[in-house]
Amino acid sequence: MEALSDTDRDLLRRSIREFLAARWPAEGAVERSGETQTVTAVWRGLADQGLGALGANMAEAGLREIALAFEELGRASCPAPLLGAVAVNLAFATQQSNAMGALLEDLHQGKASVALALGAFDGDPSAGKAELRGDALSAKLAFVEGAQAATHFAVFAGEGIAVATSDAPGVTIKATPGLAVPSLSEVTFDNTPAIRVAVPRETLADIALMVRLACASRALGAAQRSFEMAVEHAKIRKQFGQFIGQFQAIQHKLANCLISLDGARMTLETAATARDGGNPDWRTFASSALAFAGPALRTVSIESHRALGAIGYAEEHEAPRHFRRVHADLARFGGVQRARAELAEFLLGPAS
Amino acid sequence: MTALPAHDMGPAANAFRKEVRDWLARNWTPEKRAAHQNKPFKDRGWDAEVSRLMGRDGWIGVGWPKRFGGQARSPTEQIVFVTELANAGVPYHAHNTSESIVAPSLFAYGTQQQQDEWLPKIRNGECHFALGYSEPEAGSDLAALRTRAVRDGDDWVVNGQKLWSTGADKAQYMWLAVRTDPEAKKHAGISMLMVDLKSPGVTIRPSMALYGRTFSTHFYDDVRVPAKNMVGEVNNGWKVITDALASERVMIGGTRIATIERAFDRFTEYVKTATVGGKALKSDPLIRDRIGALAADLEVARQLQMRSLRVVEQGRSPIHEAAMAKVFASELQERLGQAALDILGTGGLLSEDAESAPLGEMEQFLRHSLMGIIAGGSNEIQRNIIAQRGLDLPRQ
Repeated sequence: MEALSDTDRDLLRRSIREFLAARWPAEGAVERSGETQTVTAVWRGLADQGLGALGANMAEAGLREIALAFEELGRASCPAPLLGAVAVNLAFATQQSNAMGALLEDLHQGKASVALALGAFDGDPSAGKAELRGDALSAKLAFVEGAQAATHFAVFAGEGIAVATSDAPGVTIKATPGLAVPSLSEVTFDNTPAIRVAVPRETLADIALMVRLACASRALGAAQRSFEMAVEHAKIRKQFGQFIGQFQAIQHKLANCLISLDGARMTLETAATARDGGNPDWRTFASSALAFAGPALRTVSIESHRALGAIGYAEEHEAPRHFRRVHADLARFGGVQRARAELAEFLLGPAS
Repeated sequence: MTALPAHDMGPAANAFRKEVRDWLARNWTPEKRAAHQNKPFKDRGWDAEVSRLMGRDGWIGVGWPKRFGGQARSPTEQIVFVTELANAGVPYHAHNTSESIVAPSLFAYGTQQQQDEWLPKIRNGECHFALGYSEPEAGSDLAALRTRAVRDGDDWVVNGQKLWSTGADKAQYMWLAVRTDPEAKKHAGISMLMVDLKSPGVTIRPSMALYGRTFSTHFYDDVRVPAKNMVGEVNNGWKVITDALASERVMIGGTRIATIERAFDRFTEYVKTATVGGKALKSDPLIRDRIGALAADLEVARQLQMRSLRVVEQGRSPIHEAAMAKVFASELQERLGQAALDILGTGGLLSEDAESAPLGEMEQFLRHSLMGIIAGGSNEIQRNIIAQRGLDLPRQ
């Protein structure tokens, strides 16, 4: 199979957007995010569209397509469990393990849903680490997304990934409410039986980096959507006898947002294109994208709210969920500071 | 050349880059470069001899159409070219305005006679223009300009005042925007003249700009300019001005990015090796965080610039795209200049003339940053353009 063209990607984007508009409309999206069955159903639908296999064949659909799919999920505030699916596909697609083969098959059909924990690769020292003795997994892992509806957990442990089913003995899931909606969870494994698949450290690190880029792309989609709402609002909302979009204070705010959004999008695309083209510099381009997107997209989110005024502050409005998504995604996995540290490492060498 | 990974600009541009570097290696030798660098700062950048040398070997007009004696290089290749010149510190300002603003206007609006008379001189590096746009009452609102030209026989008689013109004290000619119809709406009464600065009635008063070179106020008292020196139809000058600005902005952007990249490279190279008070600068986590943030911003500046270039290559004129690139890069230059002060400490205040300066060029880089914010349309105007042209927000 050949890699997708730009035209193919446009078609893919449109088909995901249309699917989500029909199956995950803005109306009621907040309530649906808390319903496990509804999230499971939309995941099944996305898998029917082929997204369950994203990451399984990178020559066919690579990081550009992954980023695009996450951007659309962010735009629609859809909490479909794509992150775990992509990570597992990236790690196991070339493995010959029978057990993993069955998991991948279920995953690609949307029957399985994987929650992901990066352990030592998370970048957040509070995320927890996993220990695997034989086939017994012990860990207390924080900030896991999609845990409530997951059928499986994939946990980065040592030089490999441990996979456990969510109904296995010793698994405890505790929701940890906060800015992220749906909630992140704390997941405890107490001597839980797991299958471990060896994966080289470099591969784990690359997967973790792609996961970070996927989250940044999701934040981009959310920030872009809230920005578009702000621009539309500025064109129709009148105060002091004129459209607020005529005020230079609003114009310059939104002009800055456009620069930030385009800067984030182009750096993310550059990183993804470099990876798909086999350019080893993709990791540095990725760090640049993450270091820029962190503060830039958060500012877009905040400034969009300023332009929207009080109406955008109501939880039933669409904007607050994008605010939550942008901030939640950009704070994860070490956030902006980790990305800056990586760039410093590249430019200056090690600190000591 | 840069500390950040390079972007592949394609085989044609890469081959052209090599050609340019080969020429520079032969003609802009380390000795010449050092001699230029030893001049006082205010005298660098403008070198008539270097312009003639570049003209001799066909390096003026690399982007011009072949029918005008140019190389017809693509916008990407032109960016490669200005980047290589900036990296090598080649002083090309003497012919820059002639090449990038006057000549393209002559291609589009000049008569056959004007093209035959002026283009060869420009291409040979012998004809140096400065821009006469801004006036005391016309800066961001350039179309409000009032310098008056009145027809008298075969001449236009010019009266008025212009200011902030870089290179006006060294140039031979002024690319002068004048009002030829004071009754018409402000954009509709402007014309363009090529004025010989040796003409009686021209007074040029240079003053020092913050970044270390001169810019000038110039006065016109009954200055007679031959009517054959008007470019474009009478009262059609606004179109001539704006057409030239659009493509020029991308090239200015290319030079700006090259300048920032060079400063960033030198700065990170310094931080990488310097020890202050027995402690390596690079071991400081705050410094590392700051450098990481600037590196990401630099990457974004490069991306915005390349996007403008793609728009040009698609045959469109990048309006809000070029404005975005300009705003972001010029403000990055300010941030980088200030970060250098924070990281270098008080030593960062010292200029290259101070022997003990840790990195003397950075304070000049900071002083220079203000020019980039204002010149070519202030960033406030650029943000208006982004909002109104890029986002379709309503005008006031």
